[in-house]
Amino acid sequence: MPDPDIVLLGGGISRFARERADGTPVDWMTEATRDALADAGVDHGDLDMSVVSYESEILARQVTMGQVVQDALGLCPKPSVRVEAGGGTAGAALRTAFAYLKGGLAGSVLVVGAEAVGRLVSSATVREVYALSGDVEFEMAAGGFFMAYYALMMKEHMRLYGTTEEQMALVSVKNHRNALSNPMAAMPMSITVQDVLESPPVVAPYKRLDCSVLADGAAAVILATADWAAAHASAWRDKPRVFMTGSGCGTERVRLGDRPRPDPGFAHMRAKREAARKAYAMAGIEDPRAEIDLAEVADAYTGAELQSIEALGFCAPGESGPLLEQGVFDLGGALPVNTSGGLLGMGGPPGAIGLAQAIEVLRQLRGECPAERRVPGARRGLTDIHGGTASYAVVSIFDRRD
Amino acid sequence: MTELVKRKLEARPAPEPDPGDPFAAFREVEILDMQMAFGFRHSLGKLSRFFLALEERKLLGTVCPTCGKVWLPPRPVCPDDLAVTEWRELAQRGRLAVGSLSAYSLKTAGGDRQLMLGYVEVEGASTLILQQIRNLGAHALEPGLPLKIVWSEEAVEHPMELFWFEPA
Repeated sequence: MPDPDIVLLGGGISRFARERADGTPVDWMTEATRDALADAGVDHGDLDMSVVSYESEILARQVTMGQVVQDALGLCPKPSVRVEAGGGTAGAALRTAFAYLKGGLAGSVLVVGAEAVGRLVSSATVREVYALSGDVEFEMAAGGFFMAYYALMMKEHMRLYGTTEEQMALVSVKNHRNALSNPMAAMPMSITVQDVLESPPVVAPYKRLDCSVLADGAAAVILATADWAAAHASAWRDKPRVFMTGSGCGTERVRLGDRPRPDPGFAHMRAKREAARKAYAMAGIEDPRAEIDLAEVADAYTGAELQSIEALGFCAPGESGPLLEQGVFDLGGALPVNTSGGLLGMGGPPGAIGLAQAIEVLRQLRGECPAERRVPGARRGLTDIHGGTASYAVVSIFDRRD
Repeated sequence: MTELVKRKLEARPAPEPDPGDPFAAFREVEILDMQMAFGFRHSLGKLSRFFLALEERKLLGTVCPTCGKVWLPPRPVCPDDLAVTEWRELAQRGRLAVGSLSAYSLKTAGGDRQLMLGYVEVEGASTLILQQIRNLGAHALEPGLPLKIVWSEEAVEHPMELFWFEPA
């Protein structure tokens, strides 16, 4: 079996914002793709196929968006596939492209995704539609919704490990601050722990500033085999080379109450642990905290970042809060987390955020990020995104090789 | 003057062009009011017996004949060994595993009404069920709190609203 090396050739983001009235999701995907192609130095006529990433056609008011974007981008009659995995959609799209390339069905893939969840529809309607992605018959009917599920997970984390609301607030401060130097971010903010603690309560322990906002936006990347890249992409010659060297995926029972206790129980993300284990094995990583230079981690809620850091094996369960306080995950720390701003700082359109994470890692590994958020000398980065209450998780590893 | 387009909510002129903007000529915005409303004839399928039993003030779980695990919420097939389960009536009491107070609720649960939600370990069940906790009184919403089922005296929209938990 051939086992081609897979290279991340370029990326583009169409700005994340609370409201993008300046186009449809297809328009934003077109913008992101033009930027990704320019970054990669690739002609769109040379691309072999597309993977299109979006969670909800209802919220976009456009079903079969993959075919519409394929047409808009002039990629007909080439193949295309649409991928969906809730909040983890874009991570799954990245992994799908990786699989097509590894399997020899394509030499190059455009992965492009968007979501229309800003103010096209009311936030109450978005909450209602998102609740449909959990257990509909019992939990949604009892009044359950995602913010509440995440809050219940952290209540248990706090009880087990003494994790504090101040530690969660620090995640918000860090990620909103990191977004200050990211022009594509919807929520750059300079805030304090006190600001977070005093923001209006949502579901205890979460306050408004513990939660990422609904945002519109799109992102696109070009993935290719090394052979294809050498023949078709000027970035292969002109820019530092970043390879996708590991991919893992894991799943979990949908209802928190059905998960084995005490592990994973409410506090631990077993799907993510499994995804990370597989991605590390593929990339040859044994000690992730020591061997990874930066990570873009799923932070739809502040506590979810802490749970994710633990599931990714950067520390033992319960240790993420104290390590965060010590600055380990800050810019300048041993393992900076969410240098882009993450979902908290950027906003989190599900079809795009997992690709925006890969683009942040690409920019960091190439040394292209502005000085304010650059991780000097970074050689290896990780992206982590999940759907549901981490009931679907995808972890990807990227390495710079000169 | 009457609007020619009835669904037009807003028209925004293009802003001052940004010299670097390739889409400068595409920056006018018109926003329409588009509605989509539909209902479902939603079958509760193999779970229907659970919901119908709630009207008789009975709480049913399902037990796996192979591994003995008692599922609440019920499942027609035990995912651990794919055996078809059997219905079992459960006690109407249990303990809080974890609970929280929400400032919001979904539109289907009353909109911006406050809501207490908790996972409850019902006596005899192997899994936890999410349900509303009401009338907490002076009790703290802490793990281990003994709870009992209280049944609605009034007609409800969805069968899951027929019961909730209160301190026992």
